[in-house]
Amino acid sequence: MATELTTIPPPLANRRRRLSASSVVLWVVLGLLIIAPVVSFLLLATSPRLFQQGPQYFTLHYVAEAFGGSTGRGIVDSLWVSLTVSVVAVAVATTFAWLIHRTNVYGRRVWAVLMWLLLIVPTWMMTLGWSDLLQPYGAASFFGVNTHFIYGEFFGPLGIVLVLSTAALPFAYFVISAGMRGLGSEFEDAARIHGASRWRTWQTVLPIIAPAILSAFAISFAETMSDFGVAFTLGYHANFPMATFTLFNAISNFPANFPVAAVIAIVLVLSTIPPILLQSRVMRRRSYAVLSGRTRPARQREFRPLGRVGATAGISAVFLIALGVPIFGAVAGSFVTNLGIYSSGPVQLSTTFYQQVLHPSIADKSLAAPLVLSNQLGLVVASVTGLLAIVLARRLITNVGGWSQRITDVFLLGSVAVPGVVLGVGYIFFYNLSFITGHIVDLYKTLPLLMLALVANSLPGQTRFMAGPVGQIQPSLAEASRVHGASRWRTWRTTSLPLFSRVLLWGWLLTFTKTIAELAIAQILYPPSQEPASVTIQAYLANFQLGTGTAMTVLTLLEMLVVIVVALGLYRLLTPKGWRRIGWSGVKS
Amino acid sequence: MHMPIKKPGSHPARFAAVAIAVTAASLSLSVMGASASAKSAGPTLVVYSAQGYDSATVKAFNATHPGFNVTLNDNSTGPLLQQIQAEGNHPTWGVLWVDGAQAFAQLDREGLLAKHIVPKVSFDTVGRANIPADGSYVPTGLTATGALVYDSSQIKASQLPKTWADLLKPQFRGMVGMNDPSQSGPTYPLIAGVMSYLGHYRSGSTTAAVKAGEAYFTKLKANGLVINATNGPTLGAIAAHTIKMAIIQSSAGYGAEVSTSPTFRVAYLNPVTALPGVIGIDGKMPKVVQGEAQKFVDYVLSPRGQHVMQIGDPQGDSLFWPVLNGEKPANKAIPPLTSVPMQTTNPAVWGPLESRINTWFSANINNG
Repeated sequence: MATELTTIPPPLANRRRRLSASSVVLWVVLGLLIIAPVVSFLLLATSPRLFQQGPQYFTLHYVAEAFGGSTGRGIVDSLWVSLTVSVVAVAVATTFAWLIHRTNVYGRRVWAVLMWLLLIVPTWMMTLGWSDLLQPYGAASFFGVNTHFIYGEFFGPLGIVLVLSTAALPFAYFVISAGMRGLGSEFEDAARIHGASRWRTWQTVLPIIAPAILSAFAISFAETMSDFGVAFTLGYHANFPMATFTLFNAISNFPANFPVAAVIAIVLVLSTIPPILLQSRVMRRRSYAVLSGRTRPARQREFRPLGRVGATAGISAVFLIALGVPIFGAVAGSFVTNLGIYSSGPVQLSTTFYQQVLHPSIADKSLAAPLVLSNQLGLVVASVTGLLAIVLARRLITNVGGWSQRITDVFLLGSVAVPGVVLGVGYIFFYNLSFITGHIVDLYKTLPLLMLALVANSLPGQTRFMAGPVGQIQPSLAEASRVHGASRWRTWRTTSLPLFSRVLLWGWLLTFTKTIAELAIAQILYPPSQEPASVTIQAYLANFQLGTGTAMTVLTLLEMLVVIVVALGLYRLLTPKGWRRIGWSGVKS
Repeated sequence: MHMPIKKPGSHPARFAAVAIAVTAASLSLSVMGASASAKSAGPTLVVYSAQGYDSATVKAFNATHPGFNVTLNDNSTGPLLQQIQAEGNHPTWGVLWVDGAQAFAQLDREGLLAKHIVPKVSFDTVGRANIPADGSYVPTGLTATGALVYDSSQIKASQLPKTWADLLKPQFRGMVGMNDPSQSGPTYPLIAGVMSYLGHYRSGSTTAAVKAGEAYFTKLKANGLVINATNGPTLGAIAAHTIKMAIIQSSAGYGAEVSTSPTFRVAYLNPVTALPGVIGIDGKMPKVVQGEAQKFVDYVLSPRGQHVMQIGDPQGDSLFWPVLNGEKPANKAIPPLTSVPMQTTNPAVWGPLESRINTWFSANINNG
């Protein structure tokens, strides 16, 4: 009897062993993908000699250097901008999620699709669009609008916060939408039945989606901290240094100052810890699993006609600013040949730049082959990332354990804040070590290594993106399936996959599009003579051939949209109807 | 007790969808396979280049040299040098080809360059002046940094400044722009050239020359100097009439003149600084790769190679002066080199100062 009491039943013991083994495998994968390359880079902060970047094995000299002058100012600027942007993005995203999912506002499908468009437009392109509109002799001046004073204001902290807020908005929106989608109307009904006013009802219901709100805040903060597009364009022109720009500046001279860049990268990573601590503190208090087999569709609030029009106008205005302006700017830049040029004449519209895409001025530098390669990269990277992200997201939301989950959480968000250039250079340091190339695997300057780096770059954000929807699926669903005799595979296929399918699809599309637009890692790690599209476009933009580069950018964005439409079509054709009615949805409200 | 779930794939459309997805996935996997096999084929020559005509040159070289499979890492100078520095003692590059000799001087000091690689061709005077004593790198063409690019619809040639001191005069207040040396590769050699000229530097310590240069740029800033990151926005500022002229690389000015901005012209203050396109070979590579690299360098400086360089990027980097006797510039917009007052700076002297001077410039001219 005593033996029975103290002995762990065999199935549980096996389960623990399996869990342990799976943890080891997972951390080995993460180690090779992210930890080893990033740590290799970060170690340079105090030990530059480890990678032949200085004479010292240990020094704090570069720490002091990183916190002085404009470098130190960049860190402070990034912190307060990220904080402001996160608050703004979460507030707007929560309002939008409520309006789009819970009211009869016009065009709900359209807004959700536009939110996806906003997600795939790179921040540097947003800036380009604003600049094309507001610059002297820009698109606005062709319509007789004097933008002189706005132009000055835009190239400052105001413009930076504006563009970064619009960039963070979709991240926050999708996380909060997921939280709101899982929140059936029974909670609101219960509050109203007990006499709560509408405001009081929201005060009661909003804390239920606290994980989503905090998650949105954390991801917005980390994404903003790591953004380089705005720091390099608006921040630079406004003499407003931000951390990612000062990091880039530290390694743009020759010889590059990798140790100072490493110190800045450490600050970026550490800055994500407070939001995570806040989130995990809140989530430890209670369970937030609300999505189950009995979840009922939410009831819509019916606006009166005037309110409906007003709410729709508000959403339209935000999208006009966030998306309309940059797209208009980019399209104008690709068709107007005298944009930004002093001229008393009218707008000169031409397809010259698009013709130059087909017949590029630089020999053997067309967009076709690079774009095909980028799509292939996107296909592989998005698929691998999707699978890994689901595994990680499930670990992240598991309530048992504690330290492992917290470490995973800190690690993932910290990784979101790592700029691409740090990951890219870290991959060189680690995967080009003689020991690695000589005794383990020689992947440096190959497509597989570029794919690994792109997976590493996407995985943290993708996991955070999926954690919300995955966290709302009650474990009882899978347990019920298992109790009824289904195997693990069958349980996953028939119970979990239908609920995951839409978040997997949208997550896949997110990674696919981001992979095609990614520049920092591609520039550093692309295999010789196998240039991705982003590198080709950059070659034109940097070579005073802005029109051709912009036309290439527009075509690439169009191609991304086509892929999104095809993928959604395939999903519709391949999946049973039931899959499209349950679980998380990115578009359908 | 399981709910039956209809299996996908029974419908013809679903079958087609699966076929599309599988085909796309197979294509991508084949890319990975091809890449992996390429790596296992043994060491091959990789050219790290920031030249606009590099794609055309590599393609032409492979076409005319059966058995060779030279590959190209085409990037801006900054990312290329970052990669080389990060690769350290385990380099991948076989040939480096960028504008400016400063980086080569640094690599040579670190013992990373192969020596005596200069092909037996007939260099002109400027070409010979840009070859180091140990022959560790070779000029392949020449542009000038600090060329005065102006808009002839805004200012006449007769009204232009003629010397560096002229730029400080009140009549040019707020009219002049230049690039940021921390963002634009050719701008540090320009600043170093101005310092060398104004400080009458010949040899020894550079302290006095640096001080003279810092004082000059401080005055230039006080006279309304406009800094933009790179050629694109600086030329854009001229086009928008925000400024009337800019001191940048000559090929960028000629590129604008022959493509988007036909009223742009290029003039030269006395003196401008030579900015050679430079090529060097990785001394840490196996001998067989160094041999391939030497053949590539020989090809670049052959008549055929020079021709490809001149047609590879006709609106950009191809607008250079050849450094070989008998070769002429690709475009008539480029004047004879003899008409340009050009000085050469010593990259071994000014190269090591780049980081310090750029930091000073960022702190005092950009943000000051």
